[in-house]
Amino acid sequence: MKRKIRIALPSKGRLNQPSIQILQEAGINIVRKERTYISKTSDPRFEAIFARAFDVPIYVQYGAGDLGITGHDIILERKADVHELLDLGFGECRLVVAVPENSGIRSIDDIPAVARVATEYPNLCQEYFESVGKQVEVLVVRGTAELAPKLGLAQTIVDITETGETLRRNKLKAVATILNSTCRLACNRIAYRIFESEINELLEKLRNGGTSTK
Amino acid sequence: MQTPKGTKDYLPPEAERHRYVEQRLREVFKLWGYQEIRSPAIELVEVLSTGVGSELIDSMFKFQDFDGKIVALRAEMTAPAARIVTTKMLEAPRPIRLFYICNVFRYSQSYLEREREFWQAGVELIGCNTPGADGEVLALLASSLKKLGLEEVRIDVGHAGLLKDLLRATGLDKEKKFVLQNLLGYRDEDQLERFMDQNNFSSQLREAFLRLSRCRRLEELSSVSLEPLKYRRIKDYLRALLEVKDSLVEYGVENLVFFDFSLVRKIEYYTGIVFEASVPNLGLPLGGGGRYDNLIEKFGKVKIPATGFAVEIEKCLRALIAQGFQPLDKRKVKFLVASRFRDSAIKAVEAIRGAGVTALLDVTRDGRKKVLDYAKRSGADFVVFVDSSLEKSATIHDTRLETVTNMTIKAFLQSLEDDQR
Repeated sequence: MKRKIRIALPSKGRLNQPSIQILQEAGINIVRKERTYISKTSDPRFEAIFARAFDVPIYVQYGAGDLGITGHDIILERKADVHELLDLGFGECRLVVAVPENSGIRSIDDIPAVARVATEYPNLCQEYFESVGKQVEVLVVRGTAELAPKLGLAQTIVDITETGETLRRNKLKAVATILNSTCRLACNRIAYRIFESEINELLEKLRNGGTSTK
Repeated sequence: MQTPKGTKDYLPPEAERHRYVEQRLREVFKLWGYQEIRSPAIELVEVLSTGVGSELIDSMFKFQDFDGKIVALRAEMTAPAARIVTTKMLEAPRPIRLFYICNVFRYSQSYLEREREFWQAGVELIGCNTPGADGEVLALLASSLKKLGLEEVRIDVGHAGLLKDLLRATGLDKEKKFVLQNLLGYRDEDQLERFMDQNNFSSQLREAFLRLSRCRRLEELSSVSLEPLKYRRIKDYLRALLEVKDSLVEYGVENLVFFDFSLVRKIEYYTGIVFEASVPNLGLPLGGGGRYDNLIEKFGKVKIPATGFAVEIEKCLRALIAQGFQPLDKRKVKFLVASRFRDSAIKAVEAIRGAGVTALLDVTRDGRKKVLDYAKRSGADFVVFVDSSLEKSATIHDTRLETVTNMTIKAFLQSLEDDQR
């Protein structure tokens, strides 16, 4: 008998609820108990595991999860070698370069050649600044990049924004968009071969679930 | 003090498990007539770089030798094998069957870090380009993994030349080719069709991509007909794949072989079939390989076709453990011998070892209690305190049952052997 197919989901944060919901719409109800990281689902062929959204790509690349739901931005940042099977449509956001509103910087060209940039996305940040010919010092922070300018850590940040609300509240403005992202269904390369029919069935249901865009 | 990033120590139980996997693979390779080679861990960078492609070259540990030459740690073994064949084995009767089990080194820039030193076991079948040669290598891969005790092994086969030629035929730029390759991997026909519409594929090319990406088994390729003759080489590739399939049927391993049009390997020298082996419990391939007919000539101007594969020892071991297999031989009995009489103690360990049983000699000057304590903690099953002569009965402690018996070593070994029967 085949083993269960594991789907890795963001354990908390903005992607958690919509991920659970979209699976529900596709007929997979997750029976999650408090403080457990592996959950049964209403479909005996699948089980759910919960991980940090940032770690989901790694779980999938290494096969700890056969499938995973997480942001396109995160998959790229973690340079994960996975299949992105489906754009799930939700979790829309932009990865932007932001600076203080009162800084006088209007575009990426105004950023000084030796700037310090605080970000949770060191790889994408580095690649972006290299592509525009700027050598910047990238400081990796966890979760609170928008505080960096206030505290004098770095004037520039690279972070995701959905509505721009958090940026505004912190008196920051976006001066460039690095990429647009949505949530994706990622798949381990080997699992896709082994569980092709089951995964395709799920894909079909996710596509017809209403919220998907593709 | 730590080991450098991506490297590790193998402590006794783990080292033994690794050795088990190596040993098993070595036995199978030898039974199939492959002969072992060893080569230096460092080589000139131009040797290691030949034909492997920029991704692998970028991942090599390179440094300067004292004479100013740039050398690197080997990142794989096919290039060194090709060097050996062209410089030292040109006279050897072909096909040449070689195998190796060695460590290779790769530095990965991504912080999704993997091991930087890992062990590979692989074979090269050199000097033959028949489908039978590809069939042998695939069958040997299947057989090796099964001999290890792995279950549900599957091998996915693609074709480097077929994919490369068809991609070239599209006339797309590099970036779009990359997008197309990903789409093929996703096996999403709707997206693939949309992409082909957007990029004005000819109807023949459309048909070829669609049909090939639908095939899951080699035999399904027989229904793919690619007219007109513009794709002559592609037809040859398809015929070769079907002939490999016939060969796999003869070996009786066709059930575990699948076709994946999108399959590519990270190393560039492949020209013909390429493949990866995997099991459902491990999300990464155990290993893979393929045909490389143009690599060897780059070393010595003689065109010699070849095919081969490599598997990673560590991944095989992890897959085995994931499948609940204990890759250790049954635990062997171990003795610790101590005595005031050094000469009879040495005679005693020799007698025990002579019976094929592991025996340690107490080389400390510790008292009985300490010796017993050490024996327990280091996993010795029996502690033997011998008298001045082996003829006299010795005091034998069973460290697990905590019992003591008095008998001669000879009699005790005999009783152990009787128990085992």
